[in-house]
Amino acid sequence: MGFNSLNFLLFFPLLAVVYYITPAKFRWLTLLVASYFFYINIKPVFALLVAGVTLSTFIFTRLIDNANTESGKRTYMVINILLILLPLFFFKYFTSINNGIFALLESHNIRWPLPEIKLLLPVGISFYTFMAIGYTVDVCNESIKSEKNIGILALFLSFFPLILSGPIERAKNMLPQFKTSLKLDFTIVKQGMKMMLWGYFMKLVVADRIGIYVDAVYGNISQHNGTSLIVASFLYSIQLYADFGGYSLIAIGTAKILGINVMQNFKRPFFSISMSEFWRRWHISLISWLTDYVYTPLSFSFRRFKIWGIVLAIMITFFLSGIWHGATLTFIVWGLIQGLFLSIEALTNKKRTLFESKYSLNRRIWFIVLSCSFTFLLFSASLVFSRAKDLSDALLIYSKIFSSMLQMPYRDGYTMLYSFIGFGILFLKEFMDEYYPDKFLLFENKNIIIRWLTYYFVIFLILYLGVFGQEKFIYFQF
Amino acid sequence: MEEKVIIAKLERIFREVFSNESLIITRGMSANDVEGWNSLNHMILVSEIEKAFAIRFKLKDLNKMHNVGDMIDIIVSKL
Repeated sequence: MGFNSLNFLLFFPLLAVVYYITPAKFRWLTLLVASYFFYINIKPVFALLVAGVTLSTFIFTRLIDNANTESGKRTYMVINILLILLPLFFFKYFTSINNGIFALLESHNIRWPLPEIKLLLPVGISFYTFMAIGYTVDVCNESIKSEKNIGILALFLSFFPLILSGPIERAKNMLPQFKTSLKLDFTIVKQGMKMMLWGYFMKLVVADRIGIYVDAVYGNISQHNGTSLIVASFLYSIQLYADFGGYSLIAIGTAKILGINVMQNFKRPFFSISMSEFWRRWHISLISWLTDYVYTPLSFSFRRFKIWGIVLAIMITFFLSGIWHGATLTFIVWGLIQGLFLSIEALTNKKRTLFESKYSLNRRIWFIVLSCSFTFLLFSASLVFSRAKDLSDALLIYSKIFSSMLQMPYRDGYTMLYSFIGFGILFLKEFMDEYYPDKFLLFENKNIIIRWLTYYFVIFLILYLGVFGQEKFIYFQF
Repeated sequence: MEEKVIIAKLERIFREVFSNESLIITRGMSANDVEGWNSLNHMILVSEIEKAFAIRFKLKDLNKMHNVGDMIDIIVSKL
């Protein structure tokens, strides 16, 4: 049951009504039952995994809180992290490890083919596992107390708006909210609905329409020239943003309607003037998680190596981020490229900052436009590795781009026109939000006629230009 | 060591790490108030403080450093 399925559009309003008529004291219980119902409807057996991760985390965080010694706390923390990582590793890397061993056997002609067992990755497993790890570390570091009510912890790890693809929330933000007696506030409900509406626009009008062009080109690389591949690669960056950014807005909006505030996951990333700024605006919940639980401990351990210790910590963090996205060479290369970009920026940070402030570059329009374009180019170039089927395809794309760059690109009239309209509207809104946040308001306009015209216009665009029938979001695979 | 002396010493480190000779630190000052105080420079700052005061921080201490005031208190507790 994805956010863009008919079932969800029936399930959610019904739940919202039941939720608000439930006495405030038991609302968390309604949400817990609904969350498990939502997840069981995807695949019942996967719900057992969430329950297992919850139980293990509950037991060990209670033990951490009651341990008398520092080493005792650390031991319980490590045991729980290893235990809850086991299913993630098993499901995520089982196929890659199998394929690797099969390839090795085949190369020595000792493969004995038997029927293969195919394992599906339980959707959302990376997301709730990361949330459970973050919570365990926070309890161990005494940033928060362990939760005594297993039901509240179970809700934190299974909360249906977030379980499929995040945002990867923190216990510190979520647990107190689940325990608060929330009153129905129509202003907040309206805000949530607007977020959902815009999220659906991003997904159905922009991402899925652009996806038609990208799939046509990336699905048949050998038949397309370098120009088509450049266009498709740039478009893929926008597709990924509209897809995951749209998903995140729907998730955050859904939670908001229920009175729960969830962290922002994207902040107009294509207006970043450097890669480090880009990574502060793109998939914010994952990057802040990696910063707190991977990068900071690593850079702290390597601090005696000064800037080189930081570079090493960045490279390891993004290598792990690559592996998290997928146990394939393409994702590892993609992660290392990000690490390389950020390391170069870290090494030149001081000189660049001095140079930029000396000539007030950050206030010059040409510099901002050039820097944003360059950042977009770098990100799109790196994404070739994550979108290509394998490393040899990625290298083929690059060789085609450099050998047949100035030819007519593949044309698909309607798809390109509709993509252009959808992206144009998205870009215009983001541009206004970035540079003129209090001017030209549409969704938040004081005039009720302008506000409602905007809602109807967006609904019309979704119904008229949206692509229906594509129920998957790109990030479900992670 | 008196807090005044600690602040003066700390201010010199801040000025050097953030390349800002006119920077004046206060207890309430946090990363949002200082240009360039990001996750990269934070670790260099921590390392310079350890060297200057001849102390060793723990990772747990880092999580408690929300502003300069917290930093001063942790330094005092280690001297």
